[in-house]
Amino acid sequence: MRVAADPGLYDPENPLPTLHGSRCDACGTTFFPPLGIGCEICGAGAEGLRAVPLAAAGTLHSLATVYVHAGEDIEAPFTVAEVQLDDGPLIRGLMSEPATIDAIGSRVAAQWAELRTDADGNDVVEPRFRIEDRGDAGGGAA
Amino acid sequence: MSRTLREMRPVSVVGVGLHPYQRPGDTPYTALGVHAVRAALADAGLDWQAVETAYTGTATTAMGLSRLMYRHLGASGIPMTQVENASASGSTAFRQACIDVASGLVEVAIAVGVDKPAAFRRPTTAAGVRDLAAGRIVPFTHFALLANRYMFDHGATPEQFAMVAVKNARNGAGNPNAQRQKERTLEEVLAPPQISGPLTRLQCCPIGEGAAAAIVASEDAIARLGLDPARAVRVLSSAARSETVYQAENFDAALTRETTEIALADAGIAADALDVIELHDAFTVEELLYIEAMGLAPAGGAASQLAEGQFDIGGRVAVSPSGGLLAMGHPIGPTGVGQICEIAAQLRGEAGLRQHPGARLGLAHMVGVGAVCLVHVLAAAA
Repeated sequence: MRVAADPGLYDPENPLPTLHGSRCDACGTTFFPPLGIGCEICGAGAEGLRAVPLAAAGTLHSLATVYVHAGEDIEAPFTVAEVQLDDGPLIRGLMSEPATIDAIGSRVAAQWAELRTDADGNDVVEPRFRIEDRGDAGGGAA
Repeated sequence: MSRTLREMRPVSVVGVGLHPYQRPGDTPYTALGVHAVRAALADAGLDWQAVETAYTGTATTAMGLSRLMYRHLGASGIPMTQVENASASGSTAFRQACIDVASGLVEVAIAVGVDKPAAFRRPTTAAGVRDLAAGRIVPFTHFALLANRYMFDHGATPEQFAMVAVKNARNGAGNPNAQRQKERTLEEVLAPPQISGPLTRLQCCPIGEGAAAAIVASEDAIARLGLDPARAVRVLSSAARSETVYQAENFDAALTRETTEIALADAGIAADALDVIELHDAFTVEELLYIEAMGLAPAGGAASQLAEGQFDIGGRVAVSPSGGLLAMGHPIGPTGVGQICEIAAQLRGEAGLRQHPGARLGLAHMVGVGAVCLVHVLAAAA
């Protein structure tokens, strides 16, 4: 079975990644990562913040291929993305494959990426964005 | 009722000093800082005992580091306060020193920036805030994302970003306090290693060690202590803002635009009146973004104006004449105070090889992760 690399951020049981967002009852703004202490826009307290599922799909706002990385969790090069979610917030995550800046503006949606297998034989996964509608996008690194 | 700095009593920079920015080494921070303070005291013609309060901009070295440094100048018992505001720590220390003098709390104050690189702990880590990128987006990738979006929006090229580093390396080559003092060709700047997106190593600032000091004083103190009023650089305004929520708009540029507008309005000048600007060019793309955010070029227009030489020393407005963060370096705490040192030198006509002819008005700009922005506008003595 699938287990989440970061259980606080997404639900691994869905076939397609769904993100754990939050929404402010007072001003209606949606957040990801979720806010739990107070609203960043209007200052409403924790009781006014509600957990909401967010589809991990939207429009590619920008991307960058990282060639130098100090952490041991992932080997460079890899490509990161800024995605304007259909459900509201502009978020950052990883792409499943490299792309050029021509892909900016494309439709993207997340799929599960298997990072490793844990001691119980589960697949440890995280969402990574994949271009759905490539338009004129090329396949090189940006 | 709230007031601007210019509506309080006049405050001027009367002395500046630096310890050269350099690769991290064995020199203790105390020696770095005292070197800069002594240089600033000598520049002003002041004794340490004349300084009534000290603000130390520092972010990466140690807790409560001020007195262990200032004790080498003699005991005076003055208030000493560390100011941590990420990359804008030095700028914020300078603002506090100016406020103390302008408000009448003291006659003479010093802002010192000092740091040695150590382990950084991000506030997001301390707060337990996680996101999908999970620590894989460090500052150079944050700016690589902005650079790629800028290329997409404006058709800019990697060569146009690299030209910022070529200009600032040329300026830094004339600055004995710069960490990088070597001129670079476009080919050298574009050469590997590639770091992130279009950014190569020479398009990212070096993080080193160093110190910078700026002494500010009231008009009464300038007269009483016999300082040279012709070398006093007036601080016209001090603006500080923090990030709000900008949705898809680039927050570094939006915050810079807001803060610069306040600083220019408080100073009573327009952006096109500026002669010299020191800005937070930690990565090449930032210089283009901030030039546009400050109103000096239309959106997407800074790269071509830079290529025309408009931001060179001797051009329309000299941007990063010190070499900026890209060439002078970014030791964190000192950087914002070092900008004041450069602008003071320019407005006094004492910048030597780097002198921008006829410099009368200058602006210093820093952003700090977290995210904050500080802008000061300074004027040559009348």
